[in-house]
Amino acid sequence: MSCSENDPEYLATDECKYEYLDHTADVQLHAWGDDLKEAFEQCAVSMFGYMTELNTVDMVDKKEIEASSDDMAGLLFQFLDECLFVFSCDPYFIVKKVRINEFNKENFTIKATCYGEEFDLDKHPQGTEVKAITYSNMQIYDKEDQHEVFVIIDI
Amino acid sequence: MSRSYQQELEYIERLDVNSFRIKKGFVPNMKVEGVFYVNDPLERLMLDELRNSCRTGGYGGFLPGVKQIANVAALPGIVGRSVGLPDIHSGYGFAIGNMAAFDMADPKAVVSPGGVGFDINCGVRLLRTNLTEKDIQPVKEQLAQCMFDHIPVGVGSKGIIPMAARDLEEALEMGMDWSLREGYAWAEDKEHCEEYGRMLQADPSKVSARAKKRGLPQLGTLGAGNHYAEIQVVEEIYDKFAAKKMGIEFEGQVCCMIHCGSRGLGHQVATDALVAMEKAMKRDKIEVNDRQLACAHINSQEGQDYLKGMAGAANYAWVNRSSMTFLCRQAFAKMFQTTPDDLDMQMIYDVSHNIAKVEEHFIDGKQKTLLVHRKGSTRAFPPHHPLIPVDYQLTGQPVLIGGTMGTCSYVLTGTEVGMESTFGTTCHGAGRALSRAKSRRNIGYDQVLQSLQEKGISIRVASPKLVMEEAPESYKNVTDVVDTCHKAGISKKAIKLRPVAVIKG
Repeated sequence: MSCSENDPEYLATDECKYEYLDHTADVQLHAWGDDLKEAFEQCAVSMFGYMTELNTVDMVDKKEIEASSDDMAGLLFQFLDECLFVFSCDPYFIVKKVRINEFNKENFTIKATCYGEEFDLDKHPQGTEVKAITYSNMQIYDKEDQHEVFVIIDI
Repeated sequence: MSRSYQQELEYIERLDVNSFRIKKGFVPNMKVEGVFYVNDPLERLMLDELRNSCRTGGYGGFLPGVKQIANVAALPGIVGRSVGLPDIHSGYGFAIGNMAAFDMADPKAVVSPGGVGFDINCGVRLLRTNLTEKDIQPVKEQLAQCMFDHIPVGVGSKGIIPMAARDLEEALEMGMDWSLREGYAWAEDKEHCEEYGRMLQADPSKVSARAKKRGLPQLGTLGAGNHYAEIQVVEEIYDKFAAKKMGIEFEGQVCCMIHCGSRGLGHQVATDALVAMEKAMKRDKIEVNDRQLACAHINSQEGQDYLKGMAGAANYAWVNRSSMTFLCRQAFAKMFQTTPDDLDMQMIYDVSHNIAKVEEHFIDGKQKTLLVHRKGSTRAFPPHHPLIPVDYQLTGQPVLIGGTMGTCSYVLTGTEVGMESTFGTTCHGAGRALSRAKSRRNIGYDQVLQSLQEKGISIRVASPKLVMEEAPESYKNVTDVVDTCHKAGISKKAIKLRPVAVIKG
């Protein structure tokens, strides 16, 4: 699937392919997609969805991020950590949509664009703060008909 | 390869009425045994976690606390036992409510950021006042609102204490000495804080630019999740002598409790260390049972860098709690049109419940220097220990146990038994029982607020969802937790506090 950066149709799609699963202390993100790339994107969005109500977020700005690691789990960890960082340093940037532009499964690198806007306490309801990404029981499935990830984030 | 629940139970054996041991073999490579302290209701919660994880068959799910205690027991250089406190529940790497000590003299011994947690030096601080419940009843709502207005809370909030990059460097290095110099803390505060509010091995250059960027806008913010500021009143005094030493003279006396940590800065220090240590583990061929238990030899570059960065984050947390203390004192002074000094708003104590420290302990009669990891557990040193303040030499170190929204909190004191059996460590709070998602589904917003209102508790919270997630029903009963510690002798009850106003993210 190819789509140009500002393709309104792509940005308008709002299919939610993630859920929040039970974990005693924290939250387990479960995301899936037609391919692993989509599962990763959905996973990142689900993390932002825990911080605020995503329907209040407009995509007026964007941030580019890059992540790399030595293996797939490490890459997912780094990718999500980069996304979290976008929100966590001044000015806080809340993201509605993430698109991975380059996903290299051999060298484990990702280049992605995060679409959203500056976090505004008057506009965006406060959800819960995400402290960090964890490797705890992280699972990545990338088979013919199964593309899904499980990530526990620290709350 | 996976065992059934019944097969798993064969590795868990009751030691006495309040404790169980986890035998070697429960997970691979256990160097020592595990132990955990529970009473009957807590035992059920603990074993439910194990039973549920046996059901998932490896798809999704998470590691139960008992498995995590055992995985920690498999780390190189661990001594004594891997200890689970009564508030234990599944975490990441270490369980929350887990402590473990590593022999500094053993070159193979490790330090693990997973044994400290992401929120480095998350802790609790208690201030007293000379006010009575009668004094605050008429102005309770205004006081809660005033505190809520003073203290930035919740996700996306920013600090109001002016801070530039240079200040941050100094704060990381100096901890509460920085707060004192800048006029946010009192000299007496330092006296009543673990490490006197400053870890000397802190090195700001070992805190990454990323971590500093996250820390800068957040200094002086409370955060979200289980963090809070509470106005409490003394409900019951169990130990008159200890209470008197803490300046608690009568039932109904008003106190102020603050629970927060090192914010994004600490979270990033932990994340950075995790990534660095993964590489070190491959190089030094350290095998662990759980990737989140990433660790490095204490004396390796990565190990030392982490300890110095962690100390910087710990200092940040103390500065943060001091800033919050300052804001609380201001709110009270404004409300009662007097000074914090005249309100006798002295700090009773400040404990860290996510930290690693170098301490001296006796093992089999021999003194050893150990690196003690405490994650979701609190140091509880006995009377006469050289590292506790003069004021508490006869009582033992005060241990502050924060309850949950709407439930009681406790002040305990450290004991000799605790020093011998748990390396001077006890519980840290209630500990979660329900998952956040389940709380959101099963508990109603109005229902929680109504129940708080019935108990006469004012509440100010930034996120409505958090009200359900943090409802008392989501947690273990803090009284069960504290009573178990008391009965097991690892700490002793001194004071019970009841909340009258809660400020949360």
